[in-house]
Amino acid sequence: MTTTTTGGAPPGATAPPGPTAKARRDRHGVRGSTRTFWLFAGPFLAGLLLFVYVPVGWSFYLSFFQAQNTVTPTKFVGLDNYKDILTEGPFTDSLWTFTLFALIVVPLTYVLALALALLVHRIRVARAFFRSVFFIPTACSYVVASMVWKLSIFNGVRFGLANTVLGWFGIEPVAWIGTVSPPWYWLVLVTLRLWLQLGFYMILFLAALQQIPKELYEAAWTDGARPGWQTFRHITLPQLRTTSVAVVLLMLIAAYQAFDEFYNLLPNTPYARPPLVYLYYTALGQGQDFGHGSAGALVLSALITMVTLLQGRIFGFGKADR
Amino acid sequence: MSPEQNPSRPFGRRSFLRASGTVAAAGFLAACAGNTGRGGGASSGKAISQWYHQYGEAGTQQAALRYAKAYSKANVSVQWIPGDYASKLSSGLVSSNGPDVFEFHPDVQMAKSGQIVPLDDIIADVKSDFTEKDLAANSVDGKVYGIRMIDDPQFLYYRKSLLEKAGVEPPTTFDELIEASRKLDKGGVKGLYLGLKGGSDILASPLVWATGSELLTADHKVAFDNPETVEGLKKMRELYKSKTLLLGAPTDWFDPSAFTQGLTAMQWCGLWAMPGIQKALGDDFGIVPLPGIGSAGRQVVYNGGWSTYVSAKAKDVDAAKAFVKWLWIEQTKFQEDWCTSYGFHIPPRKSLAAKATKLQSGTAAEAVKLFETKGHYDDPYWTQGMMTISQDMVNNAVVSGKNPESEVAKARTRVEAELKKIA
Amino acid sequence: MATSSTTLVRGRPRTVRERAGSVAVYTVAVAAALLFLVPFYLLIRNSLATDADITGANWKFFPTTLHWENIPELFNDPAVPMARSMWNSLVVGVLGTTGQLLLCSLAGYALARVPYRHANKIFYAVLATLMIPSAVTFVPSFVLVSSLGWVSSLQGLIVPGLFSGFTAFLFRQYFLGFPKELEEAARIDGLGSWGTYWRIVVPNSRGFFSAIAVITFITNWNAFLWPLVIGQDQSSWTVQVALSTFTTAQTINIHELFLAATVSILPLMLVFLFLQRYLVEGVAHTGIKG
Repeated sequence: MTTTTTGGAPPGATAPPGPTAKARRDRHGVRGSTRTFWLFAGPFLAGLLLFVYVPVGWSFYLSFFQAQNTVTPTKFVGLDNYKDILTEGPFTDSLWTFTLFALIVVPLTYVLALALALLVHRIRVARAFFRSVFFIPTACSYVVASMVWKLSIFNGVRFGLANTVLGWFGIEPVAWIGTVSPPWYWLVLVTLRLWLQLGFYMILFLAALQQIPKELYEAAWTDGARPGWQTFRHITLPQLRTTSVAVVLLMLIAAYQAFDEFYNLLPNTPYARPPLVYLYYTALGQGQDFGHGSAGALVLSALITMVTLLQGRIFGFGKADR
Repeated sequence: MSPEQNPSRPFGRRSFLRASGTVAAAGFLAACAGNTGRGGGASSGKAISQWYHQYGEAGTQQAALRYAKAYSKANVSVQWIPGDYASKLSSGLVSSNGPDVFEFHPDVQMAKSGQIVPLDDIIADVKSDFTEKDLAANSVDGKVYGIRMIDDPQFLYYRKSLLEKAGVEPPTTFDELIEASRKLDKGGVKGLYLGLKGGSDILASPLVWATGSELLTADHKVAFDNPETVEGLKKMRELYKSKTLLLGAPTDWFDPSAFTQGLTAMQWCGLWAMPGIQKALGDDFGIVPLPGIGSAGRQVVYNGGWSTYVSAKAKDVDAAKAFVKWLWIEQTKFQEDWCTSYGFHIPPRKSLAAKATKLQSGTAAEAVKLFETKGHYDDPYWTQGMMTISQDMVNNAVVSGKNPESEVAKARTRVEAELKKIA
Repeated sequence: MATSSTTLVRGRPRTVRERAGSVAVYTVAVAAALLFLVPFYLLIRNSLATDADITGANWKFFPTTLHWENIPELFNDPAVPMARSMWNSLVVGVLGTTGQLLLCSLAGYALARVPYRHANKIFYAVLATLMIPSAVTFVPSFVLVSSLGWVSSLQGLIVPGLFSGFTAFLFRQYFLGFPKELEEAARIDGLGSWGTYWRIVVPNSRGFFSAIAVITFITNWNAFLWPLVIGQDQSSWTVQVALSTFTTAQTINIHELFLAATVSILPLMLVFLFLQRYLVEGVAHTGIKG
């Protein structure tokens, strides 16, 4: 795409319209244009207001009340809900779980997706086949993948695939998700997410790789750089900067929102309970505590916003320079 | 998953076919009933939505539908909910599309927040037919909120032949249990199965009871913050660290498959599973309570069960109450059918329990005796939120190996915060 | 000098080292591809096996006899509302995608092309919603939807998801780059904004619309948290909720569960096979612009 502006400048104002359009506008005046704007954007904006802004506002309201088993609470508790969830406990534990998860998953996904992209990029024969194979897991849901992982690959008994393979080497069955020493459940969670996500990010990298001008490499070879690590380090990586920033941001946000595989693999298990799973059980699950649930949701939103802005501050948003 | 009993058993393909046949038959019968005018009441326009969690035993869903169809004063639709019933129910009750009548466990929060209505008027005539403990478990501030449908004691099942081969006696102390699990763990068969979370969920309450302690005092204060509970956690940790527990089976503790398929020599499960186990293993099994821990220790059987409640948001509360009265008070034939025709459950009504011949001999009779002598009921003040807290406590101390003293202290703080909410 | 040596590099014959390198590349690629296909292999193997085959002591690479009768068994099973939940997923996927495309493209067009005094502020208000992941607002959203009486209903599943700030943002970015000349020509022909949009802009943006449609459909089909929260009544389950429910309930046999999973991913496999071009394009767009 050939977007040039990224700020919010209303584009209509940037480029003067042609004479005919100008004449039309003069005839209808600004009111006509206003009407057109609302005709086009009105339904969407109304929905956005109702289904995004109202819930957020309501959440904000609830977070200051004791809202046990009710969403129309009467007992105002000030900042108590925030104090409760931010003192050391399951919510802060869940933030640590997330942090650890992100620290493992984000770099791994980044490196492996890039590796796959480079691989497919280099392949000449059957390239479409390999691309499809790596990309197609993107179509599977976390629910399906969790099922395969839990019941067929990493179950703790003898007929799981992983334990069968271990058995060939005479190794005793491992209880994969049921044990924290060693924490094999991370292997289960991480491989699952990698399988589902790698193809998606690989496509992003592939698209970016194809846009790197060939001349850059040729110039580098002329200057004596050998193909391989040197050109990768000095040309490919810098050229992928924009995509990399976007990818890391997407991966981080996706990790924050991790719910499906945790819920399906390790329902409500304290050692593997990321924030959204905790909030689900607190507010909608058995807890029915909308006050603490809302406070937690807002804290989480604030964190995501902070991380996004911080990343934007440090690396740019990955769009401005396009 | 709520930590209580969740009677579930594996469905075989045949039982599926059988089940679908029954559905067809039930549909046919219902159609006939409609033609003979018995369904006339259903057209009176009153609709009642009734929720059950998914029972694993074949035929239960059809039975529930059959009872609903037989009611003539309203059109009862049955929702059969597999999976995380407690969560589905909780969110259903806040919304305007929830159940009118549902089964669940006693929970003071639902009563205090006005989600369920008292049922004193419909139970009044037969109150003396229920045991004191069943009534107490469903009472808040002197009002009865739920009518017990079934009592489900939980205990340890063991394979007699495997214990004999290993030269092990059925364990009566916790140390013996650990020892037995060690000796039984061989040849691809694990020693003991306590569910996917190593017992940290289902045994959270029984573990505290087994140390001689209580969860809450009679006046609803924290009672588990003591050295006994810490000792209990340490013993559980020892058991867990023995590496003899079965972990990661495809089915959870409430399903006897792991036991019947020979993946484990012992398993924590409930009375409901007994007919299935009998069918699979003949009489090659026995039962024992959870052994006591420490000097004040006592053997424990967990008296789970299900009760029926009426939602305050029911479209017509009186109609819903009338249906509950009809099904769970008046229709004793259905109650008998529900308790003993599929899985085994103890009828909470004394008069029905006396007639339940299937529960009066063999291991089933033993289970009933354990239920009466060693059984512990849930305290309605021990809410769903507190259960999660105590399960976190056990999981952190037992599975993750965190310091038991500080876990107990943390749980105390969190439970006290919960108690404040319902005070 | 530079040019000549460039041609030299380009045209030089492949060295032994490079050939060895390319063998290595293919070896790695094949190994990785096999790993990626393992879950699909397990899905098919377990779908057409008996539970005895699956849980047996020795690993069976493939069931000796394929049990095709598992398929009618799945669809006839009253405990697994497979057909119903597939239908729900399809309805949610199709209506959700159509609705979202319609609303968000119109809004994106307005933000990109219709001059309006407050357009700037409104654009930032839309942009701000990207910072709030929708999953975080599910608690109050549930409350809101339930107060509308939409729990366990198709509108409850579909409507709240229609107003995606992200999709509107993508459309705005796209329309900013849409050639103005085309629109101006349409106006000369006497078309109003509405007419221009439908007769000129949309038909000339088919590729972009298709790309977003495919991505949105897949996202809708695979959505889990919201349908889990909203679908309380069995009749309103999507296929993901049904599957999850049965994995946690553990009361059906393994082969049936895997068959259900296989059936649930089939429609998307078809989408993949036939629309991969759009999909790749769509991913590239959403990713880079996100």
